[in-house]
Amino acid sequence: MTSHEAFDELAAVYAVGALDGDDLVRFEAHLAEGCERCTATLRESEEALARVALAGTPAVPPPAVKTVLRQRVAADGRARRAPARASWVPWAAATGAVAALAALLTGGFVASRYEARLGQMARETAAVRERLQRNEAALREQVAVYRNAVELLRDPATRVVELRGAGPSPEASGRVIWHDTAGGQLFVANLPPAPAGKAYELWTLGGAAPQAAGTFQVDAAGRATHRVEPAGGPASKFAVTLEPEPGVAAPTGPIVLASR
Amino acid sequence: MAMAGETLVRRMAAGDREAFGAFYDRYAPLVFPLIVRIVRDRSDAADVLQDVFWEAWQGAPTYDPARGTPEAWMITRARTRAIDRVRALRRRGETFLPPVDESLAAAPAEAGGDAAERAEDRGVIRTALQTLSPPQREAIELAYYAGLTQTEIAERLKQPLGTVKTRIRLGLERLREVVRRAP
Repeated sequence: MTSHEAFDELAAVYAVGALDGDDLVRFEAHLAEGCERCTATLRESEEALARVALAGTPAVPPPAVKTVLRQRVAADGRARRAPARASWVPWAAATGAVAALAALLTGGFVASRYEARLGQMARETAAVRERLQRNEAALREQVAVYRNAVELLRDPATRVVELRGAGPSPEASGRVIWHDTAGGQLFVANLPPAPAGKAYELWTLGGAAPQAAGTFQVDAAGRATHRVEPAGGPASKFAVTLEPEPGVAAPTGPIVLASR
Repeated sequence: MAMAGETLVRRMAAGDREAFGAFYDRYAPLVFPLIVRIVRDRSDAADVLQDVFWEAWQGAPTYDPARGTPEAWMITRARTRAIDRVRALRRRGETFLPPVDESLAAAPAEAGGDAAERAEDRGVIRTALQTLSPPQREAIELAYYAGLTQTEIAERLKQPLGTVKTRIRLGLERLREVVRRAP
């Protein structure tokens, strides 16, 4: 018996799913090395066995099976849809995952055993992609904030106004980078997260009445950045109050941050 | 001409539910008799069938046509899951070894698009197992349909392990030959 004939025999037993013990370990190791002859033997054997099995008289399964499957698939449908927008970060991750899958597949016919695992990986890849997309969106937003701040600071007409904690949050601090025509950017630190249903609202004070300048929330660390639209005129002072979530037209809640 | 199985799987991979429905209609009646034959209980078989097609839906993105036809892909999966079920039952102590017979088919299916085409080669293929020597056939059926491992087959037939392996190899070679020559 030449060395490969032993594997021919193992391949046949493997194809009918009867290999066990050391033989199974030995043969799977051999397959994982990429033996083309065994891969071909397995493929041909599976096709032959499948055709024999398919040659029997067809039988209609109970209709309930299809009904249940249809429901499961309908519930699963969303997850399988392609992401709406591609960009390089998820693309690179997807490519990496595809390469990983491809590497696994080259393991050869053993792969049929990995299919369930691969399905699992495909789902995990989709989840990673989604997460990357979210992270990327957040990063883009942050970059836009910083870029906006830098642009503002380059302009000699821009002022930096300091805000101090007041009322319920004396520890809080903030700065507004402000330009009378371009608007500005608010940075906040040490502000406790707003209670449920509430939000922080920024006010610009220049004329007679305070002007609403948008609501924001802080992160778990008590930080926030908030883009401030131009007030339609010069603003000299700023204040932040705690208000019902959608924001109000005139301040009603306690002042938590204010400029001098 | 019905849509090629490969196309259906590709569309399933893209999340096409209608393709899955067509895929089920096409393959379920073919795969079901095999599952019934292995698990020998229609209700158990229906459970296995559901698992098998659910896995096919989930595994569609990893289907590689270079590794085999959708038919083989499904049959291999169905056989594996059915054997898993039988082995689980056996472990629970409901020991049984099905006698080898093929008379468990349920209601006949409606004639599909390529049913006639399949009926032609069915005759040749169906008798393929009969062309093996009885010991070869027995060894292959105990493995493929009853889910016994080579060691279990050797014990059951009171034959040396090497003999069992050789019977399986020769039988399978013959089977591949018959199928290769079939139209």
